[in-house]
Amino acid sequence: MAIFLQLIASGVAVGMIYAAIAFGYQLTFATSKTLNFGQGEALALGALFGLTMVPFVGYWLMIPLVLVFGFALGAVVERLGVRPAVKIKSEYGWIMATIALGIIFRNVAENIWGRDDLKFPSPLSEEAIQVGGTRVLPMELLIVGGALLMMLAVEIFNRKSIWGKAVVATSNDIDAAGLMGINTQKIITLSYSISAMTAAFAGVLVAPVTLTGATMGSVLALKAFAVAIIGGLESGLGVIVGGLILGVAETLTGFYISTGYKDVPGLILLLVVLSIRPVGLFGKAVIKKV
Amino acid sequence: MTVSRRALMGALACATALGLTPAQAADPIKIGVTGPYTGGSSAMGVSMRDAARLAAAEINKGGGVLGRPLLLVERDDEAKNEVGAQVAQELINKEKVVATIGFINTGVALAAQRFYQEAEIPVFNNVATGTIITNQFKEPDYEANYVFRNSAYDVLQAGMMVDEAVSQGFKKIALLADSTNYGQLGREDIEKYLATKGIKPVTVEKFNIKDVDMTAQLLKAQQAGADVILAYGIGPELAQIANGMAKLGWKVPMITSWPSSMQSFLDIAGANGNGVTMPQTFIEDRTLPKRKNFLENYYKTYGVTKIPTPVAGAQGYDSVFLLAAAIKQAGSTDGPKIRAALENLNERVEGVVTTYEKPFSAKDHNAITRNMVVFGKVQDGKIVYAKEEDAKNAGVVRVKEKSAN
Repeated sequence: MAIFLQLIASGVAVGMIYAAIAFGYQLTFATSKTLNFGQGEALALGALFGLTMVPFVGYWLMIPLVLVFGFALGAVVERLGVRPAVKIKSEYGWIMATIALGIIFRNVAENIWGRDDLKFPSPLSEEAIQVGGTRVLPMELLIVGGALLMMLAVEIFNRKSIWGKAVVATSNDIDAAGLMGINTQKIITLSYSISAMTAAFAGVLVAPVTLTGATMGSVLALKAFAVAIIGGLESGLGVIVGGLILGVAETLTGFYISTGYKDVPGLILLLVVLSIRPVGLFGKAVIKKV
Repeated sequence: MTVSRRALMGALACATALGLTPAQAADPIKIGVTGPYTGGSSAMGVSMRDAARLAAAEINKGGGVLGRPLLLVERDDEAKNEVGAQVAQELINKEKVVATIGFINTGVALAAQRFYQEAEIPVFNNVATGTIITNQFKEPDYEANYVFRNSAYDVLQAGMMVDEAVSQGFKKIALLADSTNYGQLGREDIEKYLATKGIKPVTVEKFNIKDVDMTAQLLKAQQAGADVILAYGIGPELAQIANGMAKLGWKVPMITSWPSSMQSFLDIAGANGNGVTMPQTFIEDRTLPKRKNFLENYYKTYGVTKIPTPVAGAQGYDSVFLLAAAIKQAGSTDGPKIRAALENLNERVEGVVTTYEKPFSAKDHNAITRNMVVFGKVQDGKIVYAKEEDAKNAGVVRVKEKSAN
């Protein structure tokens, strides 16, 4: 039993990392039906930027700076990669554009910070603590807490603030929102900014556990993408559940079946969800009228 | 038409003249240096390259080889197989190197060295450890093998790791290896060697490059009652294993392949890495004058207090001297002649890993034998001798065993 709990605990920690990144996919998809395929690079840039700032301002003060950095980064991605494609109603232009921007970001990061994996200073003790029969790192608790807090903050922003309400309106029906006088263009930019901001924050959050480097986001972003599909691209709750499912599935398979097949059940789940419920476990089925 | 014909004649004349003129005394001897200078294994590549530079500078200071200076042509293979193959072709066809040293990654070596074999240019593996590397073009399928090596190959390391575990009285061995060529070939070597001893590992687990969480692998080892972990992988992931053990509050000795001496392991594992042991051909100590000079020169030239990956640096340094001795003996820069000289090297080459006496023969292209390799141990961010007797005998040069291979 203790082992099972330990596996669950580790799976939850890993799963929350995926969820935090997948959350960013969901934000932009809601407003513009587009995704930033450079999400992994936004995560890496956020972490590397944070790593550079830590010696100057300390760990906690670095976080708001990273948030500002991510916010600006998202706006840049939207301007350069997404807006031109959306404007000419290109169905696929944004895919290539965001991937291309991601590659550019990675190369820039490699030139500035090198390609070595760097150690990110941990703000908390690196000694594991006992929590109900399992051992967890304080940093893992911080990841779970931080990710939940971040998602909560975005939810509150969406529900309470006028800008957030505009975001929700745009996601519900972009044409109606436009007719109601909402500048949907601006709202899409905003959603990209918030999305990259969450990615950059997630980067700082996970960096002490995953190591920091220009390519740190590549594997994580791919898994997060699977999470977003499993959970449903329209649902904030969906990505949390999807993340937990994938993370726990990985550690359980690793232990009970084989570590060589660790990544397989997640992908099988992805295929199953796509064939049975293409909108994801928590997605809303939308009937597209043609 | 007349003009173009005249131009053609002129060009021809020039070309003939150039071709017939014997190489000038100052013409440098070009030696390719290939390795990852960026990316995850860059600490090894950079240590190797920087040490090779020191060796070349020393040789040039003493008048070079055959009265000509050595010129290192450095190329970054990024630890990628396809880039390594490109680099090999560029070095051979465009730069016209006399020989090449380098290769950190087994996969890159296997993908790239065929070009040297075809061009009959010696290629000198100074870090990559895959056992198959020196066997890729072995007799009787090939007339001559142009691949040489002065690193401790996997079979040798695997045997050492197992023997070390057994000699310390451990019975239940858990085997963890990464999913790359390197890790899986090493795992195979370990399993084979364990089988000859009639031991079956209690568990064999796999992990991927960039894996964040080792809980499943370690819990399996713990449940199987493992009393020692043998791990085959590179720095960052080996460090994640050490960190994972600390997280689970489970501590058994960990014996790894040599890359736990990488800087990335020391940085990432921190205090959790203390006590991890691994086979090393070189430990940073200043016992012998040659080693002392090398280390001081390295520290001073590059402004560091520690070689990022000492083993890669030492082997890279020695490889240049071995090659220089062979070119000297061959009396030419002709590939087959250099190969023949390497296979029957008359000069005693004093390196920092060992003193090389007849390091290679026509059949044996590995300079390092088991007796030259010691166990290193991580201690507060440095690699020290794991055993007292090794530390005491640090100044004794271990030469190649006669019966080897």
